[in-house]
Amino acid sequence: MAKLFTCMMKEEWRIHSTIFGSLSFALFPVLIFAITFMGSFLLPLFRAVLPGGNISLVTHALFVLLGIMVGGFGLIGMEAMNRRFGQASLLAFSARSLPLSERRIFLVFVVKDTVYYFILWVLPFVAGFAVASPFIGVPFAIPVFLLITLTLAFLTGLSLVFFLSTVYARSKRLLFVAFVLIIIAWAALYYLTGVNGVFLFPPLILFRAFSWATLLAACALILIPSAVAVMLFSPEHADTTKRFKNAIAPLTKKLSFFPNPPLAAKDLIDLNRSGSFIGQTIFSFLIPLGLLWFLLFVLAPFLPPGGVLLLFAILTGVISSTMYTWLTTFDSFSSYACLPVSIPTLLTSKICSFAVLQMIPAALIVFVSFASGGAVYLVPALVLCLAVSFYALAVTVWLTGLSPSVLVYDARVLFLYLVAVGVAIFFLIVLAFMNPYYVVASVLLLLPGWLLVKQSYRKWESWDQPGF
Amino acid sequence: MSRMEKTESIIEARGLVKQFGDVTAVNNISLFVGKGELFGLLGPNGSGKTTMIKMLTGQIRPTSGSATVIGVDVVQDPVGVRERIGIIPEQETPPSFLTSTEYLDFVGEVRGIPDVQKKADWWFDFLEFSDKRDVLCKDLSRGTRQKLMFTQAFLHKPALALIDEPLINFDPIMQHKVKEYLTDYVKSGNTIFISTHILEIAEEICSGFAILHKGKLLHTGTVAGLKENNQHLDDFFLSLVRKDDHG
Repeated sequence: MAKLFTCMMKEEWRIHSTIFGSLSFALFPVLIFAITFMGSFLLPLFRAVLPGGNISLVTHALFVLLGIMVGGFGLIGMEAMNRRFGQASLLAFSARSLPLSERRIFLVFVVKDTVYYFILWVLPFVAGFAVASPFIGVPFAIPVFLLITLTLAFLTGLSLVFFLSTVYARSKRLLFVAFVLIIIAWAALYYLTGVNGVFLFPPLILFRAFSWATLLAACALILIPSAVAVMLFSPEHADTTKRFKNAIAPLTKKLSFFPNPPLAAKDLIDLNRSGSFIGQTIFSFLIPLGLLWFLLFVLAPFLPPGGVLLLFAILTGVISSTMYTWLTTFDSFSSYACLPVSIPTLLTSKICSFAVLQMIPAALIVFVSFASGGAVYLVPALVLCLAVSFYALAVTVWLTGLSPSVLVYDARVLFLYLVAVGVAIFFLIVLAFMNPYYVVASVLLLLPGWLLVKQSYRKWESWDQPGF
Repeated sequence: MSRMEKTESIIEARGLVKQFGDVTAVNNISLFVGKGELFGLLGPNGSGKTTMIKMLTGQIRPTSGSATVIGVDVVQDPVGVRERIGIIPEQETPPSFLTSTEYLDFVGEVRGIPDVQKKADWWFDFLEFSDKRDVLCKDLSRGTRQKLMFTQAFLHKPALALIDEPLINFDPIMQHKVKEYLTDYVKSGNTIFISTHILEIAEEICSGFAILHKGKLLHTGTVAGLKENNQHLDDFFLSLVRKDDHG
């Protein structure tokens, strides 16, 4: 077990350092440390506007999201690695060649993810805050507490996604029912008692006031879903060879208005059959945005009219831009290497498929606008969301070409992305708070976006594509 | 009279170099392949064969040097090169979530091949994998995936096909069938360029060959020329590579 754990840790490091470069990847925790360290000096400013409790709420929620995202990527690792490295074989999938059960390997995999990402994310984040704390008058006990509670928040997200994914593997219908029940319970709690469910999150309560009972509750929230996930995890695979009717020919005809109909048809089939469409919509889109909505709701008293909806539209735009990774994660570019297809053609096709996927955030904004009573701001919110999404997509394409996963851990690329997108968002927030209708000006972002995509064509055509 | 002057050129590489960081994968290789040849690029693992094929098919750019394939410059117009040729890459990687039929339809659409299903049907029968038409590529065995990649490369009857390790995943019966197909394909005026480290295959089907070692071109010649000198390709290859190893 210990040997397998060590090997999995080495494997994870080598995957990342191969994709992002050893130095770039090694610098990633340093970047997190630096951002937190510098960000800590802004705390007094934030405190002047927001109650301190809300800052800790946002921080804990971010780490829950991080856990969800790390867990989600871990589960699609095999296909993603095959796309990047060709016929990859990860230790997590080595039960056939090692005298270890799949359940045991899964358990070690979960432990490995926990330790690895704790070192990569949680530790540098808290370390940055701890080093800054004497300068901003924060008692040293706070970072120590934060180390415990953020770890618990991160693990809660991780265990939640492992639990939901094993439920998903057993029955998609059951997962859907579980979701509906959670949403109903949350809404009922709010409407009956006026308590926002996020304030009942045990790691957050623990951060505010330590008690052994809360610590136990926080641990239970991690251990119970994890234990159920390991129990539900089924190593028995039925014959997975499925047969499908020819879908590409009719779909290509239907998409004849696209610049490259067969490429777009392939993208949509990939999304559907890989389970990404449903899986990513739930795990990478609806869950994070659901949590963000509740967070923004908490901030509502401090925001101008329409502020919650417009901030939500901006965040939805940023998260929607990551749909580009849905289109590239499972696509093996070596498939195109034997075809007369250029990199600009592929990029154009991916952007068109991305445009189709933008119906999802558009529908969400329409729904949220009406559901929250903010229908009067529907048009600016919709324009804002889509403009941010396409602009962030253009930045992503310019920085990462056909390998957007590089964004996650290449410190240099991530920094450039944060600057390019962050500056635009800052001005949009200012506009939104001045007058909600001013944000319609966000449509101007499409111009630099278009220029960036044009630049990307030249930039990426001259690069040797990995796997191409 | 040199080989270059005798036949119409279909591949011409001049001083090709490819560096990956500090590693020189291909070191100043010039190569000529004439129309109607079944040419074998031979070499041990890591000798630069796959890198050479990737450069000749416009998949990666040479660090220096130039090459034309069917008269098209591989750096200036890599897509134009791939339009005219068929390629079977080293790793058989058809798209995971398309079925065999869908993949061939997809290739047909991208290449603009008319009646693609009719042509695909012939290949399903010829390579004996009709029962896998509706199965996702990710669920196919390696052998079946290679059959599929073989089909996509020849679906448009290219004047030149470049094949990296052509028979490695086939059983002996299928190997025999494919070797016959390749030989006939060349007889009908087309050209095949294969890269392999299995010397028996090269000796059996190739007319011309080149030997690469550690990124360098050690020798170019013909199988017929070796036979005239009562030499076997494997002996010749081993002596050349060992000599190079010992400086």
